Amino acid sequence: MGTVLTRAALAAAIASLATAAFAEDASDRNRFQLEIDASYVSADSPFDSWTEGGLGKLRFSESNDGLESTRVFAQYRGRIADTLSATVIADYQNDASSGIDVTEAYMDWRPIPKSANQQQVRFGAFYPPFSLENANLGWQSPFTYSYSAINTWLGEEIRPVGVEWSLRRHIGFAGSPNELRAFASAFYGNDPAGTLLFWRGWSMHDRQTRLNDKLPMPPHPIWDSTGAVVGYYDQSVEPVAETDHKPGAYAGVEWRYARRVLVQLARYENRADPYAYGGGQWGWDTEFTHLGVQASLPGELGLVAQWLKGDTYWVQGAGANGTLSPFASLVGDAFSSKFLLLTRLVHGSHRVSLRYDTFDMHREAGQPLGLEEDHGSAWTVAYRYEHSAHWSGGVEWLRIASGREPWEYFYGAPEDATETEVRVQLTYRLGVANR
Amino acid sequence: MATPAELRSSPSRSAVWILALLIGAPAAAGTLRVTVVDERGQPVERVAVYAVPSKPLAVTTGSRNALMDQAHSAFVPHVLIVQTGTSVLFPNNDVVSHHVYSFSEPKTFELGLYKGNAHPPVVFDRPGLVVLGCNIHDSMLGYVLVVDTPHFALTNPQGALALGDLAADDYEVHVWTERLRPGDMPAAKRIAVSADGAATLTLKLEGKLLPDHDRDLRTSSTLSWERY
Repeated sequence: MGTVLTRAALAAAIASLATAAFAEDASDRNRFQLEIDASYVSADSPFDSWTEGGLGKLRFSESNDGLESTRVFAQYRGRIADTLSATVIADYQNDASSGIDVTEAYMDWRPIPKSANQQQVRFGAFYPPFSLENANLGWQSPFTYSYSAINTWLGEEIRPVGVEWSLRRHIGFAGSPNELRAFASAFYGNDPAGTLLFWRGWSMHDRQTRLNDKLPMPPHPIWDSTGAVVGYYDQSVEPVAETDHKPGAYAGVEWRYARRVLVQLARYENRADPYAYGGGQWGWDTEFTHLGVQASLPGELGLVAQWLKGDTYWVQGAGANGTLSPFASLVGDAFSSKFLLLTRLVHGSHRVSLRYDTFDMHREAGQPLGLEEDHGSAWTVAYRYEHSAHWSGGVEWLRIASGREPWEYFYGAPEDATETEVRVQLTYRLGVANR
Repeated sequence: MATPAELRSSPSRSAVWILALLIGAPAAAGTLRVTVVDERGQPVERVAVYAVPSKPLAVTTGSRNALMDQAHSAFVPHVLIVQTGTSVLFPNNDVVSHHVYSFSEPKTFELGLYKGNAHPPVVFDRPGLVVLGCNIHDSMLGYVLVVDTPHFALTNPQGALALGDLAADDYEVHVWTERLRPGDMPAAKRIAVSADGAATLTLKLEGKLLPDHDRDLRTSSTLSWERY
């Protein structure tokens, strides 16, 4: 009950702050937007949620059934100059490791184009522009409440701190429906990315990692000389951390045809040294290729699809305290996932969405080679209703079926599991909805 | 508050009206009716048509004014036709600020981040196509078509328009639409208009039509095309 009161007090404080900001600043130079999400959740899973250090892929466990304040967040955007703005998104989650924290904080510079080339530079901590789902305020999805496996993982572990440059131009002539965009980034941090994905496997939810979050993970087994598990120690990961002082990079190209088709191809490499230990974290050398497509279909249907394939190389036998065991060896795990989402907006305020995800992870280098660490698929169905600029709500049903070969050996847990979550959400929004 | 449809149709009428006042409306005047169709003979909406007389235009001294509004992160009208020398006001009646610019050759300008009527009007003193953008909202696209004649209009949903109050003369009829590549625009056509007659002309747009930006804006909200 205490936490409910704390949440309510916090929400009220942010609301009054935002209201005061609206009253003072009609010029639009400073803008606050606030969103409060409350959900009634019912989960069905043989595991506790990973958010509690369990083995479950869902955000909630059966023991959480009931009312949850899934997220309270505020976005502040201040215009420092006509072409320069600062954006900070801070949120509160009742199941995160620290109270209020920041998901993104960056400066955005858009010089006035003098030709068909339109440039943009972002500097700070931000999401790479990979997700075609998370286009709403606060990197939320307008389609479903729980993100696809790909975007859930991007929200969990991919958060560079660096600089991103992008160039956009219409192809052929000014106003042409053909548009190309190229982007490239160099960044620090994000060296442990891949740790959570390996230890827990793929997941589907809407809990975004904040810059100082320490994410729980399934416990690390302790083996004896015969290979039997004799105990566990707790482990956690800080995905934003820098371990080796080597920059990472990502780059991509995007083609658009009017507001009908968008195709993006991108590559991400955190270039972490797996033997480097820093800030209590080991580096995981993670890289992936990403392909995203969205298209307007006849009958006012919309299609979104993403495909991600990559791998992570890390040291087996690297201790949580920074020591390497004499048997330490480099291993590589390949991961991939794809999803297809169909959505339809009816009368501008009702939205129905259907998504099918598949995912996989297996050992591609080191022993045991070919081990199926995670494989499965998921269906998500959501209905959402925009009642007004302030109120919206909806319901979502999500079912994930997966198999994780090592889990019987690691945890004595079943290898195959089906996890289901039903969520009814109510959202209150304050502030102008457009940018 | 004028509706977009009113705003779209008003410039031609008012320009013709102002001109008629200035030069003294002739007792009898011709009308040119134009229909624009695509390859399959279907009418095409919002195509700009302007008729340039062969005789030099009377020099006018009055000022010409027009309005390019911004609402719901779109330029309203999407296509504004003005006569060379027209002052265009760019009010922003949106809830958010816009930063309007153009790097088009006939008029390069920039209206720094603003709301309401923060900037003086922009004078379009050279003929040609001026493509408008907003530096904040990438999907905002608008056009000011600057022409050397007071006789212009956009086709209605039936693909038709009428240019009235034309003095008897030979006219060169030009067409512009964002739905054709610049090289695919049909060549200008000559037509004679008599003092009391009604000339008719059907213009066919050859080539595949590009997407209709206005219609796309209305129907493409199923997906998100701009990210936060």
